[in-house]
Amino acid sequence: MQVTLIDENPIAASMARLNVPQFFGQRFAGGLHDKSLMVERARAANEALAEAEAMGVDVQLGTCVWGAFRNSESSRVLDGPQLGLADNERSWLMKYDRLIVAAGARDLGLAFAGWDRRGAMAANGAYSLMRRYQALASQRMVVLGSGNLGLSTARMALDRGVDVAAVVDVSRSVRGDEAIVATLRESGVKLFTSHTVREAVGGNGEIESVVLVEIDDNCQPVAGSDKVIAADTVCLAVGLVPNVELLSLLGCDLSFEPELGGYVPDRDDWMRTSVESVFVAGDVAGFHDGMVLDTETARNQGRLAGIAAAKSLGAIDEAEAIARRSDLQAAAIDSKPTDTYANWIRWLQALLNAGGSEVFACPCEEVTCADLIDLRPPRFLDWETERTSPPSLKALAKDAPVNPDQVKRLTRAGMGHCQGRLCREQVALLLAEASETDVADMPVMSYRPPVRPLPLRVMWPHDESEQVRNEWAKWFSPTQQVLG
Amino acid sequence: MPVNRADVVVIGAGVSGLSSAYFLARAGKDVVVVDKGIVGGEASGRNGGMVSERVDEPLLIPLAVEATELWTTLDEELGYPTEFTQEGRLQVAVTEAEMGDLLAERDVALRHGIDVEVVEPSAIRDMIPGITERTLGGLFFANGGHANTQLTVQAYAWALQDLGGRLYQNTTVTGLRVVDGRVASVETTAGDLAAEFVIGAAGPQTGLLADLAGVHVPVAPARVEILATAPVEPRFPIALVGNGLYGHQAVRGNLIFGGGAHEWTDVDLTTSPGKPNTPLIRNIARRLAELLPGAADVPVIRSWAGVVEQAPDYRPIIDILDCPSNYVVVTASAHGFGISPATGKVVSELVLHGESSIDIRGLGLDRFSGVGRGWRQERGWSPVPQRA
Repeated sequence: MQVTLIDENPIAASMARLNVPQFFGQRFAGGLHDKSLMVERARAANEALAEAEAMGVDVQLGTCVWGAFRNSESSRVLDGPQLGLADNERSWLMKYDRLIVAAGARDLGLAFAGWDRRGAMAANGAYSLMRRYQALASQRMVVLGSGNLGLSTARMALDRGVDVAAVVDVSRSVRGDEAIVATLRESGVKLFTSHTVREAVGGNGEIESVVLVEIDDNCQPVAGSDKVIAADTVCLAVGLVPNVELLSLLGCDLSFEPELGGYVPDRDDWMRTSVESVFVAGDVAGFHDGMVLDTETARNQGRLAGIAAAKSLGAIDEAEAIARRSDLQAAAIDSKPTDTYANWIRWLQALLNAGGSEVFACPCEEVTCADLIDLRPPRFLDWETERTSPPSLKALAKDAPVNPDQVKRLTRAGMGHCQGRLCREQVALLLAEASETDVADMPVMSYRPPVRPLPLRVMWPHDESEQVRNEWAKWFSPTQQVLG
Repeated sequence: MPVNRADVVVIGAGVSGLSSAYFLARAGKDVVVVDKGIVGGEASGRNGGMVSERVDEPLLIPLAVEATELWTTLDEELGYPTEFTQEGRLQVAVTEAEMGDLLAERDVALRHGIDVEVVEPSAIRDMIPGITERTLGGLFFANGGHANTQLTVQAYAWALQDLGGRLYQNTTVTGLRVVDGRVASVETTAGDLAAEFVIGAAGPQTGLLADLAGVHVPVAPARVEILATAPVEPRFPIALVGNGLYGHQAVRGNLIFGGGAHEWTDVDLTTSPGKPNTPLIRNIARRLAELLPGAADVPVIRSWAGVVEQAPDYRPIIDILDCPSNYVVVTASAHGFGISPATGKVVSELVLHGESSIDIRGLGLDRFSGVGRGWRQERGWSPVPQRA
């Protein structure tokens, strides 16, 4: 079979600066501008890439998938499913028979005062910069989250010579692996439980120190408990969210699974989604803190998806597929999740209580938590209402369940460069809280292509057909033709 | 299910339905708006936000001119922001043929007393920073403009509610009960609604809805695509048409441009139609980069599609029917947003007085009395067959 492996890493420095696709927080070394060096490092960080190439897999690094198109009831013009791909210079389309989406997870964003400063980042951004690119430019880090995600991030930072000042959690005790906790303690890392961040402060848009505050059982800050810790980096490591954007474009059924990080694809035990030609593997199929230390589950999912895709194309028969499946070590494709969303909600409440609601819930469009909840029109409109009680979220919720897309249109939260990559969970949780709706009942904020920001000159179709070029329809008129 | 009563039931919380409801509520009517989805969830909140005098379609000029006047005070009228910007509309030509079309359009505009002027390429470059050197000239309409579609639909909806109008979102219409030549009640998933008048403003579903009352309204749904870039400087406030695209720069700074082929599709009365994008967005991106080379490095951050409807002659239908005699058909053939304030005014006048102060001759349903049920297939306006 002809197999192509596409990975957006290494990403361009221009994208990293925009926090695409992870929250890098502007703390990366100049080496990120050197694409060939980064390709070399990304390959060195993942031996399986060379193995795959040796087996004949066409490995395309530094290539992002920004779109996924296929025919459906309401659009029938394509001659088969295809992906929109791009590197830094150009875009193209690629057809496929089967697709395995192993797009991983993205950083969960949670707002605190100062998180729009340089030096605020999150776990997957930090991981990429440390492990993949060896380009993390942090001196002293505070890690938020004491689950395995936070603990592993702290340990990795220590190993790379970063001074880890503190690991902070809103929980009463440390949440993750005890062995890592012991290692961190031995290295002098302070662990602050029942604490949250009040703000990150510094000059010139930088983070220079972090103010922590103790919280009580109701997530309320304890007066007089503020502690100032010098640090140039605050790394959010509270959670990761399955990267389902392509699956959403493909029309795969998604279900809200709070223990698996939110919306995850429906799939069978061969990792096949509701769309026959699409399979999933790894964090994209659902992520929880236990999976940080258990890489075998994701690997097994990948192996199964590969076996199932091969079988569905007739490359192996059913007996062989079952035999190969039974060869898989442990063959675990499910592991026991933890209370993912409950932990996020506690973090969000503690941050709001400690830092106030005038922090940006959506940093791209500078929409504060209060703007969101009060449905304030964007600030640039300078809209002054004479009404004593402008429509609120509760008023909107009376008419219909709150729809994050509708709120986005009114406030612009999630409408910026990142299209909600960083803020959509937080926005959904804030809306659910304010409108007294279960977050599970709120529709998902829609995903549309391109799922990566793509300059017009890159999106430009060098392969444009003469027909599309010459028979372009301006708008409906009697002479115009149907697509396809 | 309880029976509710209202003076007027409007079916469809799109821009035409909401504007009609607003003007009726302002005239003292008790109005209920029903929609299977959310306010402006379909094409009304997904279009290019263009406001023009419709010189391309002379029959619509009276309606469109009235609309451009109503737009100037719409924010104050409704009490909520729409981002309406009336700094003009520029149509540029990049080929000789297009320039010829523009000059013909200018003549039509002048005959109708519309403020229009031909602009030279050098003036165009002053008006639109970063525009291509390739324009041969343009037409500038001083009264054209654009607005934020999503803020506008919500502004109508809130203004309606401020006047006591009711809004039933996520509510499906299951039947129209016709008694003695009148729609006696609208059957919905939220119960029956008895009404003196019923407005069918259901966009692409207008035909299916009218079928429930035994009326044939020929409209064909079609999917169209559009994209948005990240905000870009410097700004231009003028609505822009050229190189096969139409669009504008939002007040926030994003370029929002659409165009290209449409695809005929089908809809139903209960679900939101699928609206995927296709690789056509790359072709739109190219045309935008050709039109505004100065913006070629600006990233596209989103694209979307919408489902609009077309009558056989590409024109709106605004009509109070003979039978059922209390049923008003409002469908705009994909041009509802810009004319929406005037549409609402006309519909309210039809309900209140049986006739409109604005000239809507030529927009009646009777012009399609000869159009049979099979018209879409005959014209090739049906969806292409699904591939294997």
